[in-house]
Amino acid sequence: MDFDFSFLAEYSGVLWRGLLTTLQFVGIAVVLGLVWGFVLSLGRTSSNKGLYWLATLYVEFFRGTPVLVQLFWIFFCLPLFLGVELSGFISAVIALSLYSGAITSESFRAALKSIDASQFDACIALGLPQGVQTVFVILPQAMLRAIPNLLSNVVSLFKESALVSAVGMADLMYVGQNIANNVARPIEILTAIALIYFAIGFPLTRAVSLVEGRLLKVVKA
Amino acid sequence: MAFVEIDGLVKRYGSLSIFEGFDLHMENADRLVLIGPSGCGKSTLLRCMMGLEDIAGGTIRLGGDDYIQGATDGRMTLDRRVQKEVGMVFQHYTLFPHLSVLGNLCLAPVRSRGVKKSEARDKAMGLLERFGLAERANFYPSQLSGGQKQRVAIARALMLDPKLMLFDEVTSALDPELVVEVENTMMELAEGGMPMMIVTHDMHFARSIATKVVFQERGKVIEAAAPDDLFGNPQQERTRDFLRNVLHIEG
Repeated sequence: MDFDFSFLAEYSGVLWRGLLTTLQFVGIAVVLGLVWGFVLSLGRTSSNKGLYWLATLYVEFFRGTPVLVQLFWIFFCLPLFLGVELSGFISAVIALSLYSGAITSESFRAALKSIDASQFDACIALGLPQGVQTVFVILPQAMLRAIPNLLSNVVSLFKESALVSAVGMADLMYVGQNIANNVARPIEILTAIALIYFAIGFPLTRAVSLVEGRLLKVVKA
Repeated sequence: MAFVEIDGLVKRYGSLSIFEGFDLHMENADRLVLIGPSGCGKSTLLRCMMGLEDIAGGTIRLGGDDYIQGATDGRMTLDRRVQKEVGMVFQHYTLFPHLSVLGNLCLAPVRSRGVKKSEARDKAMGLLERFGLAERANFYPSQLSGGQKQRVAIARALMLDPKLMLFDEVTSALDPELVVEVENTMMELAEGGMPMMIVTHDMHFARSIATKVVFQERGKVIEAAAPDDLFGNPQQERTRDFLRNVLHIEG
């Protein structure tokens, strides 16, 4: 078997556009997932039974079903329910945001739960009203504690995003498969794709452990 | 009328009973030190006074006003107005880790008392200066020693001008060489006339700071007297046993 990576140069433009597409919808899904996840985590920690069960059911459903099934459902079934055509890009963003919201809410919830009961005692002893307590004491600490987890969620989402190629989105994975079929050189092209994913994923995971070390020092007073 | 009046306090954790009708009075000029075996309810008493625990019965009055009234259905009444006049310092500092020393001191005055930021800042700097912590104003709690953290916690409580300070084993978590700086800070407050209730295991400190020492066991006051009397000539057998044990261990 002989390997020849030189032909890849000719496809660099296409690969680059595929990568940009991946980064674009992952970026949007991360932001929307953060907001949605925060809202869900409030439901998950709410004393209102209805809100709690609604949020819990949602989170458990999205954590307990394959992302690929969720993607297919959003791509093919949701338009039938809504009665409108959704572009592939929009569908991918919706699917990944809904999924990432469920995962993110768990990170927020864990962070909220990890705050020591004595912090609440201190708030009461200082006579802080509930609102002040939440906004100035509890949430900032929860956010700081959630950051490492949220960052590793981003890494996971970035990798899982390759699944959207299965529904015909021209992301990095899809583009790579196309080229592989055209030139009949799957080894070179799939290796290259893996390396591109790794080139982005690896610095991100490094960043996670770096941030984790720094933050733990601050938060563990 | 005493300054603090605790009458008929009932506190239970499920089926475990801590107090069944506990009474304790304290005069305005007093510094009351609570001693007793662990699990006898000393810390629980302070937590009840701060409104951190639901009490099942009894009343706690401050300056003649009822401010906590227990109820068996778990719906005790608590007057936040009076509660604001009590300050508390905890064993594990409970500083806010995401805020600087200055931020810790200014949060409550600015966000819940409507004090102007600049005013709160000036007051905070004054307190830090007094405690020898001025150059630590912009440090975060994680950058401080245990003794410094605890003195910051004391300063934080003082920012609200409490009429009564509660100290719950504030030196128990400290390395021995850091205990003195915290105890000195408390002595300084005592000399300024601050009424205090203190839970401590340090009998020497208890003797030097107290105007009255209360020995309690199994949710009851066994003996209460001036420190020289209680340590020098305890009247009750159980007090003598307790003191013999702890002083022996310490010595």
